[in-house]
Amino acid sequence: MKAVLTQNLSKTYTGSKNAVDHIEFSLEQGEVFGFLGPNGAGKTTTIKLLCGMLAPSEGSCRVFDLDPAQNPEKLHQLSGVITEHAQMYDHLTGLENLVFYGTLFGVNAAECEKRANVLLERLGLVDAQDRKLAAYSTGMRQRLSLARAMIHSPRILFLDEPTSGLDPESAQNVNSLIRELSVDGTTIFLCTHQLRYAQEICTTYGLIDEGTLLATGNIQRLRAMVFSGVVVHVKASRMPDGLVYQKTGEHTYDITVNSEDEIPPIVKGIVEAGGNIYHISTHRMSLEEIYFSLIDRRKAGKEGENDE
Amino acid sequence: MMNRMQLALMKKDIRGITSNKQVFSVMLMVPLALTIILPSIFVFVTVLVPDTTSDFQKLLEMLPSTEQIGNQKQMILGLLLNKIMPVFFLMIPIMASSVMAASSFVGEKEKHTLETLLYSPLSLKQLFQSKILASFSVSMMVSFISFAAMIVVMEIEVLLLTGSAVMPDLSWMIIMLLIAPSISLVAISITVRGSAKAQTIEEAQQRAVFLVFPIIALVIGQFTGIIMVSTWILLGLGIVLPLIAALLVKGSVGKFTYEKLLR
Repeated sequence: MKAVLTQNLSKTYTGSKNAVDHIEFSLEQGEVFGFLGPNGAGKTTTIKLLCGMLAPSEGSCRVFDLDPAQNPEKLHQLSGVITEHAQMYDHLTGLENLVFYGTLFGVNAAECEKRANVLLERLGLVDAQDRKLAAYSTGMRQRLSLARAMIHSPRILFLDEPTSGLDPESAQNVNSLIRELSVDGTTIFLCTHQLRYAQEICTTYGLIDEGTLLATGNIQRLRAMVFSGVVVHVKASRMPDGLVYQKTGEHTYDITVNSEDEIPPIVKGIVEAGGNIYHISTHRMSLEEIYFSLIDRRKAGKEGENDE
Repeated sequence: MMNRMQLALMKKDIRGITSNKQVFSVMLMVPLALTIILPSIFVFVTVLVPDTTSDFQKLLEMLPSTEQIGNQKQMILGLLLNKIMPVFFLMIPIMASSVMAASSFVGEKEKHTLETLLYSPLSLKQLFQSKILASFSVSMMVSFISFAAMIVVMEIEVLLLTGSAVMPDLSWMIIMLLIAPSISLVAISITVRGSAKAQTIEEAQQRAVFLVFPIIALVIGQFTGIIMVSTWILLGLGIVLPLIAALLVKGSVGKFTYEKLLR
């Protein structure tokens, strides 16, 4: 059974263009899926479609083989959701909020408190647990939201920008928690535009822009869509004749190769030509570079269409 | 039937309103004014100021001859407790339930906590049931406390000033057991219906204010001698209002979708 499966999924709000335009992808259980795209790309709309908050205009989606539009209550029992607008109660303390939401999911109060204490400890909120939420900072609220989404041990977590407003240390903490969850089999659907952060924890990705899914797959697959080669940075006293390279500074050069197998002959060539090597490193395209390259390619394609 | 999850939501809603001093004080102020201050003024004026009976002449004339017995001041006090106060009293469940319903529905929307509730495994119907029941319970609680306070204060005043008590009659039973609950439900469902469109608590409360107009009409009607609120009129209202309430509640629960609520 797939954790998430969408087919031709579309959503059009009245009087506007498609917020989500015929997207298709599937997620295996335990995957950490990074759903990436600029603001207004359709990420939050997709989460709302997958949680049954919106009904698709066309196509369908299934989460653990449940149709979110038909069976939202059953699906909600299996899922935890964090979005910008899903806040908690200011007049309750952190612990009271967690216990309340836990009971709402059918967990008994004693068990709720036990789970809440573990989560508060894990997310560094123990000292603030008896403080009213009104006194919480944005980062603390965000961490408590994560605890809230996990209080009923869901099988899938939909996280919309879970690290926005977090300091680097808390973000790191949240990342390691997400990784642990996925190891335990929880599927994570993560929307973000913090690409470096996504590359740290996601196993697969989906790139969306203006409602259109540009690419899906793991990083190797995305890289192959743009450029799968390796760039070798070299700092050497001299370069042999006949080697194709790009000079990037004094004694520094970039050489583009198709695979790492091509690196030893290059090193050998430099040494044999009497050059001293001071530095050698390889660089593959990062998620960020792939993302911008795909977005730019789409923009260029659209401009081309308009020019015709 | 309500399940444990719904009860948790109900409890949270009731606690939410009672811990919000600003809203709760508004909710208590009107009942206090209506059930303690207003009847006290009537009682003192009737007993202590000579010749007030002429002001009530029109009302007294409308009383059936069987009720026109005994001391005239005692008669006016009876009239006050059993004919005038019931109409004023009806404003309490309307007020309390609309303040509570607005805070419970639109308040969640305003504070961005509604979306979190929608992600819970409760169906929309169950969510609405719990919220309606929470508003209803608070409204009934405020109504019964107000009633008790009114009776205690009035009886003490009347006893001290005249030496004998005035007894509440059957109309109060009809009001407390039939009309107050059903008019609460009507006010709640009107507020709930408006809650999808309303963005602020105040906006949602304003809708239920219209329910106060027929009551003001009844008050004016009584003082000018056009109408007398008899047990029969109350009984009639007690039968019609629950029907209207049932229809409105059913209608308001059925028409919501997640999409409409999050707009």
